[in-house]
Amino acid sequence: MLPPFSYIKAKNLRQAVEHLATEGAYVHAGGTDLLGCLRERIFPADKLVAIGGLKELGAIHPTKDGGLSIGALATITDVEYHPLVKKRYPGLSQAASEVASPQLRNQGTLGGNLCQKPRCWYYRGEFHCLRKGGENCFAVGGENQFHCILGGDQCYMVHPSDTAPALIAFRASVKVQGRKGTRTVPVEELHVRPEVDVHRETVLEPDEVITEILLPSVPSDLKSAYRKVRARRSWDFALAGVAPAILFRGEVVEDARIVLSGVAPFPWRAVESERAIIGKRIDPETAREAARAAVKDAAPMTKNDYKVSLIQAVIEEQLLEIAPKTGQ
Amino acid sequence: MGKQNDQPDSVRQGITRRGFITGVDVGAAALTVSTCVSASRVEEHELISSGETVKVTLNINSRKHTLLVEPRWTLLFVIRERLGITGTKEGCGRGECGACTVLIDEIPRYACMTLALEAEGHEITTLEGLMDGERLGTVQEAFIAEDAYQCGYCTPGQIMAVEGLLRKIPEPSPEEIRRGVSGNLCRCGAYTHIFKAAERASRDRSKGGSS
Amino acid sequence: MEGKKDIYYLHGLAVPETPAAGNAPEPWKETRVVGTRQPRVDGYERLSGSAIYPSDVVLPGMLYGAVLRCPHPHAEIEDIDTSAAEKIPGVRAVLTGRSPDAEVLWREDQDYQTLLFNRICRFEGEAVAAVAADTPYIASDALRAIRVEYKVLPFTVNERRALEPDAPKVHSHGNRASVTHYARGDVFKGLEQADVVHEESYRTQCEIHTPMELHGCAARWEGDSLTIWESTQGVYAVQEKAARALGMPLSRVRVIGHYMGGGFGSKLKPGKYTIIAALLARMTARPVKLFLTREETYLVTGNRPPVDMRLKAGVKKDGTLTALDFSCVGTGGAFPSGGTALVDWLIRDLYTCPNVRTESTDVFIHAGPARPFRAPGHPQGSWALEQMMDALAEKTGLDPVEIRLKNIPLYSQAREGNPPYTTTGLKECIVRGAREFDWKRARAQAEKTRNHTIRRGVGMACALWFVGGGRPPSTIVLKLFSDGSANLNMGASDIGTGTKTVMAMVVAEELRISPHMIQIENADTGTTQFATPSGGSKTVPTEAPAVRDAALQVKRQLLEMAAKDLEAPVSELKFDIDAIFSKTDSGKRIKLTDLTDLKKGGVVVGIGRRGPNPEHKVVNPFVAQFCEVQVNMKTGEVGILRFLSANESGRVMDRLTFDGQVAGGITMGIGLAMTEIRVLDERATGKMLNRNWHDYKLPTALDVPPVIVSAPVEMPDDEANTTGAKGLGEPVTIPTAGAVANAIHHATGIRMTESPMDPTRLLARLVQATKEG
Repeated sequence: MLPPFSYIKAKNLRQAVEHLATEGAYVHAGGTDLLGCLRERIFPADKLVAIGGLKELGAIHPTKDGGLSIGALATITDVEYHPLVKKRYPGLSQAASEVASPQLRNQGTLGGNLCQKPRCWYYRGEFHCLRKGGENCFAVGGENQFHCILGGDQCYMVHPSDTAPALIAFRASVKVQGRKGTRTVPVEELHVRPEVDVHRETVLEPDEVITEILLPSVPSDLKSAYRKVRARRSWDFALAGVAPAILFRGEVVEDARIVLSGVAPFPWRAVESERAIIGKRIDPETAREAARAAVKDAAPMTKNDYKVSLIQAVIEEQLLEIAPKTGQ
Repeated sequence: MGKQNDQPDSVRQGITRRGFITGVDVGAAALTVSTCVSASRVEEHELISSGETVKVTLNINSRKHTLLVEPRWTLLFVIRERLGITGTKEGCGRGECGACTVLIDEIPRYACMTLALEAEGHEITTLEGLMDGERLGTVQEAFIAEDAYQCGYCTPGQIMAVEGLLRKIPEPSPEEIRRGVSGNLCRCGAYTHIFKAAERASRDRSKGGSS
Repeated sequence: MEGKKDIYYLHGLAVPETPAAGNAPEPWKETRVVGTRQPRVDGYERLSGSAIYPSDVVLPGMLYGAVLRCPHPHAEIEDIDTSAAEKIPGVRAVLTGRSPDAEVLWREDQDYQTLLFNRICRFEGEAVAAVAADTPYIASDALRAIRVEYKVLPFTVNERRALEPDAPKVHSHGNRASVTHYARGDVFKGLEQADVVHEESYRTQCEIHTPMELHGCAARWEGDSLTIWESTQGVYAVQEKAARALGMPLSRVRVIGHYMGGGFGSKLKPGKYTIIAALLARMTARPVKLFLTREETYLVTGNRPPVDMRLKAGVKKDGTLTALDFSCVGTGGAFPSGGTALVDWLIRDLYTCPNVRTESTDVFIHAGPARPFRAPGHPQGSWALEQMMDALAEKTGLDPVEIRLKNIPLYSQAREGNPPYTTTGLKECIVRGAREFDWKRARAQAEKTRNHTIRRGVGMACALWFVGGGRPPSTIVLKLFSDGSANLNMGASDIGTGTKTVMAMVVAEELRISPHMIQIENADTGTTQFATPSGGSKTVPTEAPAVRDAALQVKRQLLEMAAKDLEAPVSELKFDIDAIFSKTDSGKRIKLTDLTDLKKGGVVVGIGRRGPNPEHKVVNPFVAQFCEVQVNMKTGEVGILRFLSANESGRVMDRLTFDGQVAGGITMGIGLAMTEIRVLDERATGKMLNRNWHDYKLPTALDVPPVIVSAPVEMPDDEANTTGAKGLGEPVTIPTAGAVANAIHHATGIRMTESPMDPTRLLARLVQATKEG
């Protein structure tokens, strides 16, 4: 059962951020993540500031510079099926299609998907864990089969978003509004690493709201995809996933971004893997090299060694899949 | 959230106009019969405090229900426990099973993850809303014919998921059907029969041309 | 094994005998209705929303109950302070172990009695206090306002460590719940006689039932009479336990469960929640609805126990089994609840084997007690035995189908006196299933993918279900009205298997009326006849013969009435659709609705009873299943491509619901095989980590094959009962997980001896195998 909270349906963004500046206020859009957290009493919320009625935040439209603007309130379904997303940013459309379940995709927003709370079962359960202000991370030496192999530091959650890796692969950024005005943050810099602050998931201030996701213009032949491995085919988070966005000149990789899901506490850009393929043809050997490079610093926990193999397998598979077939 | 009216036209393709027209009709009718047409306090953008109740009007199956709700009450709680509508079931209360699936502006959503006061101003359809008087709708008929249920408790949600799918994609592929009901658990394991029922309903509709 | 009290679905229940049944009628030779595809007679109610499930009940003035539960696997309650909760507006009652109203003895099991609220909590989720409030929201606020001081005690949640000397004890006498032994022949000699001996360890994980409808009830008092609307598989089982706990006569406790949203064994009996709801309703003089949250159901409404198994088998070169040596350790949680019950049954009885030895050790741990879960013990034992048969086939160079055909049982070896089965369809199931599945070709085709990243594999498994023949008691009242329509009164619940539809078909068969002319009244202790809970695949073979008997009683009376009207002896008369006529004089024919005595009396009542089972014979259903999978060798992802089940369950009563049971049993078996596991935080807290449907993963629509083929092997079992039907619901889920494991082995060469076979486990094995070359 949900705990008591007060509620305001914001008239406009200005009113929303004013209310958000008060103690215990949370921004509320699709509600698919927030209401779940409240039911579990993960954190206390005194006031929900609902921005769902702000029509200006739902639109998807091309930008003047040839990119795409996605309103923060666009639902995951909107993103999945939007013709421009499908055409220019297929990796994002695929990532959206892999989120949760159809109903949650109809309800959850892209902005919300980026700001999800961890799905770690200790964090979501009755455990006073480090991230919730406790003393330690229960996953260490505990049931960590779904936890991270990269980037862990005190907290070993994995970031739950499927869309964030795809957005980072496309060099997307988010427009943020707060009381002091607006700013633009690259999605790659949106999420806080546990080594920086273990109590925060994003760099957003309490009064700040994502209003818009901005995708830059991309070459029409940019190849992208999203591949997710999970224990169950629907309503499941990634055991490991990869969002590649690669530009080929002929058969040679000119530019590449490879971002991983399911393996780190934030969307993990596999820079070493990118380096391993830039300037090269992708053949089985380079694909394997690139995959291996991604896990160079992997530090598996007691029960998630499989992720080291799994993430390599999906990187390798996707690079070979995305590469122009020789002779074509 | 996810105000479907705010969606760009491009994602609305394939959705019938029927819902919008019905919505307008009902709105107009309400204007003529109701003396209370002022926007609720929610719509006035006032802060509703936690212990307070606020009057909202919910349009469920083209009938208006005006009642007092607390901010934290879910649409599921109101439908089942306050309005006594039994065709929407509670399986988990946490957006994980789909037993509470309803159509909100023709789109399948979980009523347990929807605040009741946010459902105001939208057209809500429950299982009962698919019936024509005492007659079952095409999806319900197809579920009977294919025995697409066992205990019947997840079934209203499955039917609403199929209904939502067919309103969006009248002739779905087998893969689209499987995906379309993948947000609805069935512990009895009637899935393969549900696939058949969805196919049958799609065929029946294209033959009969009605829902 | 089959003593009435030992059958799990009758545990702790006083079960009366059926009064003598009518003379056994001849078996059906040809059927007109039975065996067809009959849509459910209550389909409209279930699909229109007009069926009121217990959780749908809303009563005037109703309050909402909620239970505070111990957050620790092992703790002692030192103090409870409810004062803050009592002050919350809208809170109407608070109940703790100190409330005079709560002095209630509660039987966890026939052998274990405890209190409604115990000072020592032996599992996470044990009831500590309860409240009733105006809304479930306020009730939930009140629970949070109750302050409990716990002395947290050391816990044991891993059954494999429970018997270690330093393991914290669940009960003062230790953690050993029971050890049972079985032996026949000489296992050592059998192993010596074998050409091939193979030994392997296996494990199946703990599964939670999670039926879609939550566990709970609504309770209302009218004076000293109590009505309970409970989501249950057996209204009489709830009545008995509730009346006993509350010290009331049975007649004052009415339990109604017209519809229910799934149970799978977890709703064979009431819970503490039932009693708590009744107490809260009495304290407040208001109806109280108390349904658990989904999270609570994971902790306190039972499970399929986890079990570690070891099996050593000997086989001759020609595939003949010579020995099976089996041991297992399992746990039913904190109380005696059959942690290893029936796990060894298939090892004892499925295949012909002269030398068998089993040892089953049941231990206590600090976790929620088990409840029977669809075919208790059987899927676990099947997981071991069927993978062993597969391994033995490989070692002897035999086809998995052949080796099983080599060991078909002729009688029940595990029972005293080796009684024969009424029918033994195992061979037919294997042969028909293999043919329809195109087994040989499928195996060969799959083997062509050996060098691919995505490989295919084909596997099979078999099973029997140790009961499934039904048994007395059952009493049915059938009323035929003057217009030829009928009312069938039966105590049994239709838990979703189509029981009501099958019963209507039986009446329709005998009386030649449409099943839809029959109104069924069931599952209400106030208005319907005594019935045992629906479970154990016994409902159809228990109730259908009694229904047939009732229909025959009605028919006999109608013939007598017609004899009077037509002035012809009964022996000359025959039933036709809506009419009775003389076999010798075509002029003598009378419509049912014209029968003088029927018009005069308005109704004909037939009382039917379930006759006894055949003596010295065993009635068991049999099954063989076949499946094809594909495995991504690099990621460990498994796709189940197709499934076929050949079931010998006697006569097929309703082909439509029969096929539904088959698809459902396989889907549930896929859950055991692929995704389901209870995860306890063994290291730090002992708490359950995945108490929701996201972390505890049931198969979704995308996890089952697009089509599941049901290929019934119909052998009407005329000896079993007067309808020739045996049970289906349990046997169809038993071999599924083993068949998938065998198919994965065929694809990958890897033997997954521990469930579930998700990528987190399978990939580790694939990587290891690659490393080892």
